[in-house]
Amino acid sequence: MRRCYSTKTIEEIESELEQKGAEYWKYLLTKAMQDKSLDVLEHFTLTLLVEGASEPDVGGLVRRFPYLRATHLKDTDWLLTMNARTLVELWRDPHGKDFARLVISELDGRGVSPIFNELAFGERVHAS
Amino acid sequence: MNWLSVRGYMRVKLLYHTDLDALKRVLVHKGVPFDPEVLLDHVVYMFEIEDCSRVTTHQLVRHRAASYDQESQRFSAATKEGVIVPPNVLSNEEAYKAYDEALKTVYSAYEKMIGAGVPKEDARYILPSSIKTKLVMTLSARSLMHMVWQRTALQAQWEIRELATTLQSLARDVTPDLWIKIIER
Repeated sequence: MRRCYSTKTIEEIESELEQKGAEYWKYLLTKAMQDKSLDVLEHFTLTLLVEGASEPDVGGLVRRFPYLRATHLKDTDWLLTMNARTLVELWRDPHGKDFARLVISELDGRGVSPIFNELAFGERVHAS
Repeated sequence: MNWLSVRGYMRVKLLYHTDLDALKRVLVHKGVPFDPEVLLDHVVYMFEIEDCSRVTTHQLVRHRAASYDQESQRFSAATKEGVIVPPNVLSNEEAYKAYDEALKTVYSAYEKMIGAGVPKEDARYILPSSIKTKLVMTLSARSLMHMVWQRTALQAQWEIRELATTLQSLARDVTPDLWIKIIER
């Protein structure tokens, strides 16, 4: 997002992002969410091993969320890849909410993308 | 390790890629043999491309199975220094003179409009396709391989061919198993 509105070079922008730190990343993410510029979230990719999922469950998700990519490994094991925009869309859709909750819980448990999780799915903290 | 590739003027940086070894460990753990075809949709690359022309990015975004965020001319001011000159123009004195004169006229009009209070988003209508731009692109290995296959062909234009060659080289460096096994087929 920062890269789209600046004529600065790769190195200058990276150094600026590094220097300004977490509060600035939070500001940029908040702005993206508020402006509904979810396209910037498409650059954050998640690949998950999903165990114990039936074919109808995964098929239903993939049909509803076309940017979710699923590969059957064996039995009830799947490899799923999505970007953060799809995760937000899953979270906002009643048909995707339960699965999104599982993914976010896994991210939280592993300490992955805490700033994004808090901003995009913050209400789950109050609900739990 | 430096992932920045500089070919001529264009700069490409691999900002992120999926950890292929981690995916291979998952396959081993599950007793599934490594098949690159299985992982093509799950290995993802994110590149930053700087200083290529809008001619090339127009061609690039026709590869729709990817995510793009491009520098906005609504907000960034354009400068005459920030243009690409094709080699066929650069090596031809008469053509280069015509090119340079046209650019001077265009940029003079652009600056006059900005000076007269016209917003950048409207003044940009006069800017040339040769203007340098930058963008962030994220795509799967499957999409990248398709792009490379099409855009490294001799029929492709020189600039996007250079870009596709660089993208391929950066991707192969970090995920050689995937690329070598697919090419072997």
